[in-house]
Formats: sequence, C-alpha cells, structure tokens
Amino acid sequence: MKFKIIGRSFQYLLMIIVAIVMFFPILWIISSSFKPLVEFNSYPPTLFPSHIYLKNFTELFRQSKIFVYLRNTLILILGNTLGTLISSSIVAYPLARMEFKGKGLIFGIILGTMMIPSFVTIIPQYILFKEFGWLDTFLPMIVPAFFAYPYNVFLFRQFYRTIPKELDEAAKIDGCNSWQIFWKILAPLSRPIFIAIGVLSSIFWWNEFFTPLIFINSEDLKPLSVGSYSFSRTMFIVRWDLLMAMATIMIIPPLLLYLFARRYITEGIKTTGIK
Amino acid sequence: MSSKRGSIVPYLYLLPWIIGFILFTGGPILAAIFLSFTKWDLLTSPIWIGLSNFTGMFSPGSDFWGILKVTLIFTVFSVIITMAWSLFMAILLNQKIYGVSPFSFFYFAPAVVPLIALTFIFQLIFSKELGIVNYLLSLIGVKEGPNWLMDYRLVLWVVITLCIYTYFTGQMMLIFDSALKEVPKELYEAAEIDGANSLDKFFKVTFPAISPILLFNLVTATINSLNTSFTLIYPLTGGGPGEATQVISLDIYTNAFKNFRIGYASAEAVILFILVAMISILEFKFSSKWVYYEV
Repeated sequence: MKFKIIGRSFQYLLMIIVAIVMFFPILWIISSSFKPLVEFNSYPPTLFPSHIYLKNFTELFRQSKIFVYLRNTLILILGNTLGTLISSSIVAYPLARMEFKGKGLIFGIILGTMMIPSFVTIIPQYILFKEFGWLDTFLPMIVPAFFAYPYNVFLFRQFYRTIPKELDEAAKIDGCNSWQIFWKILAPLSRPIFIAIGVLSSIFWWNEFFTPLIFINSEDLKPLSVGSYSFSRTMFIVRWDLLMAMATIMIIPPLLLYLFARRYITEGIKTTGIK
Repeated sequence: MSSKRGSIVPYLYLLPWIIGFILFTGGPILAAIFLSFTKWDLLTSPIWIGLSNFTGMFSPGSDFWGILKVTLIFTVFSVIITMAWSLFMAILLNQKIYGVSPFSFFYFAPAVVPLIALTFIFQLIFSKELGIVNYLLSLIGVKEGPNWLMDYRLVLWVVITLCIYTYFTGQMMLIFDSALKEVPKELYEAAEIDGANSLDKFFKVTFPAISPILLFNLVTATINSLNTSFTLIYPLTGGGPGEATQVISLDIYTNAFKNFRIGYASAEAVILFILVAMISILEFKFSSKWVYYEV
C-alpha cells in the first residue's frame, strides 16, 4: 500500500515536471510582457513581474503596425479556411463513397503528395505566381486552398468512412442524386470534422510564417507572423518588453481557441492515425 | 447511376484537386527538375548548363557537403528526440491515475501557438547574460554559462531539442495517445498473469501493438522536421553561427530568394526530393522487421 502511494506520487511528479517543461516558454512570454525593460536585466531573472506593467502594450500599439498585421492574418485565415472546407470536403466525397477507375492511384498520389516537403515545390510556385502578377498579394496563399489540400482531403475521407453507407443507399432509393446525397446526408453528419478542420486551418494560418515571408513584401500586407519578425529585426537594440507584448498577443488567441475547441482538435488529429 | 463504373461524376468532384495537383504540385516538381539543369537569376532567360549545378554541389570543396551533414544530423536527431518525447508524454497521459486531462492541455499547448513567437522567448531563455538557463546553471556551480545560440558546437543541439515544442510533436503525441488507448486490456492482463514486469509489458505488448503507428509517425516526423526546420531555425539563428545550423531548407531559401540562384536552388530542391523519397522507402522497407499489422 505504502509502495503504491510512493509510486503514485512519483507519477504525478513526473507529469508535473513535463507540464512545466512544455508550458514554461508560454508562461515566460506572458509574464515577461508585463515587465518594464529594466527588469529584463535583473539578476536573478524574476519569474513574475514586480507589478503589472501595461505600458508595453500601449507602446507596442504606437510603435508597430500590429493592427494592420492582425487584419492581414484574419484575411488569410478566412480565405484559407473557407477554401479548404469547400474544396477538400467535395474532393474527399468520391474517394470515400464511389467506385471508379483509377481510385487507388489517385488516393495513392494524394497520400504521396502529403510527403513532399514544401521546399521542393516553392520555387516553381513562386515563378508561377510571379507570371500571374500575384506577388505581394494574398492570392498565392488563398487561391491554392480552393483546390483542396491533400491532408484535409485525407481527414475528410477518413471521417466519411465512419458514416454508414446504408444512409446513401436509402437516399438513392428516395431519388436523391449524388450531389444531394453529399449535401443533405454526408455534409450535415460530418459537422465535427468540418469544425475540426476549420479550427486546425485557422490555427495553421495564424501561425504560418514561411509562405507569407516569400510572397509578401509590403509592410502593409504582412500577417502577424512575418510582421512580428520584421518588427524584431528593425529594432536597433532588442526591446524585449515590446517583443514579449507582441508575442503575448500572438499566443493568446490560438490558446483560447484550443481551450474551447479542444475536443474537435484532438479528435481531428487522431483521425489521421486511423487506418 | 452516379456510383457506377465509367461515369464521369466522380471525376467532376475530384476536379479541384486535379487542377490543384497539376498547377501547384505535379507541375512544380517537373519544373524544379527542369530548372535544376539551368542557371537563372530570374531577370534574364534561363541558360541550360546540364549537370553543372549537381557536379558543382558535389565537388570536393563545395559547401553543400556541410549543409547535407547539418541537415542529416538535424533530421535524424530531431526525429529521434521528438518521437521519444511524444511517446513518453502519451504514456504519461495513459497512466491509470486521476486528473490526466489538464496535463494533456499543457502538453499540447506549445503546438498551437506560433513557433515564431516561441523563437522570441527562446532567444531570451538561452541568452548568455539574461537567460534563465544560464542562471539555473549558475545555481549548480557553472560560473560562466555558454552562449547557447552563438556557440557553433552547441547551437545545432539546442535547435534539435527545441523541436519538442513544434506542432508535429504535439500531433504525434495525440496519435500515440489514441493508439495506446486501443491496445486491448486483456493483453496486459494475460502478460501480468505470466509474471511480466512493466518493461516486459512495454516491449512485448505495447510496442508490437502500436508499431504501425510508430511507423506512421516515423515517416511524418521525417517530413515535418524538414519542413518545420525553416520556421524554427531561420528566426532563431539565421543558419549561423557560420553555417552551423544551415539546413537544406534554409539554403534553398537563401539561394532562391536572397541570391536569386534559381537553378542551383532548384537542384537542391531536387536533391531534397530524392532524399525524402529514399528515406521514406527505406523506412517502409525496413519496417517489415518490426511492424506487426495484426495484434
């Protein structure tokens, strides 16, 4: 019995240590964002600010284009999420529900393209969008979303397969065509995966750094990720206070979204692992 | 009707993907292969130079050897560390104890926040003078802590370790977590009756049961560590000091979009493509030795 209590305590201790390791950077960002600049030099480092100092935020709003960055990030999120939900849900439909020539091959290609690092295709994409005259606009980052991302197609297909096929058969007997089966039966029953992919896509585009770094040049079109990076680069000496205030604004929304939509996120990701 | 063989209906639904594949994936891969045989600065027209990009890359004095070495060390060790760490977290979350749910929130939290914001705080945490890491070291007697991100012997290992905060580590943890929950309880009970201890149970029951998921995570971790490397390393070290953290993704970016050596950067992209294909094939081939598909 005693042995068991010691074992239990050890388990909890281990779990708490791991939680501290994983959450420490986030905690440190938030706590640092309320410190005046001089406190960053104090030794030993202070875990919590001596008092809540809000001037970092007002100063940040004055010195950076954070609201412009924020608007741009929201445009990217909206365009991408809408695009990928529409296109991926439709593309996944025949892969989960119909028999046709080349189905195995196409599904294989979709799985295969998930394994291609984006650095392999980025240069020709850049040249293509340059030809289109799309550089320094949001189009290179939004338009591809309307042509189905393989990963989301895969998630939709996995989810559709959990819905009984008899429902389709019954609807067909009632005279529904394939589009009506999709629109009236499959899509409404797939609400959880729509929400999951919507949330995951929003978080992804809130965080995405590489593509806007390449396609956007104007300060007024930069999303928060690239904007915060260029903000950190323009400073002559590092203003840790402002940078941490900006980082706090960047981490709070995805954390809140995760807090409220946790079930959808974890279920969505776990769908990937199902054979 | 619609689901009959020979109907064009399924292909109509697939059309967005087909167009997208040709324009944004398949076409670009072919274009990258073509461009890898050229010299091009984006301003004048491309010049066909045959295999020169590749022979230059693999010539004895080329800096590409260093980049390849850094890329391989980064990929191999970040895959090992993130897989071990995510499996460890998943195992902790599967202990039969009270109050696991809040822990899983904290374990996955770094995965949802922007990596770029985390790189800001990593710079502070690992700073030589202001950083908490060196402060903690000073408590155990290390007077002069290292300059973690500027020391060419340490920096690569720092960025490899920081991969535990990336999205793909969190993703692997969740996938391991659900795989562990699906291992039949009877197997553990049977093993217990046979007198197995915890280690036996892990290697004889858990490991074979989750081996297909291990393989799946191994392949995705490889691809994702190559993809994520840029967003982690570029803001943190810019590839430096020297070229200590210049992985291939950074080098493709620098050559293509900073120096406008489009041909050379495309050749690097082709090498990366071949590398990824080879690693994935190897991982699948080798897997028949340790993956059990029926439990």
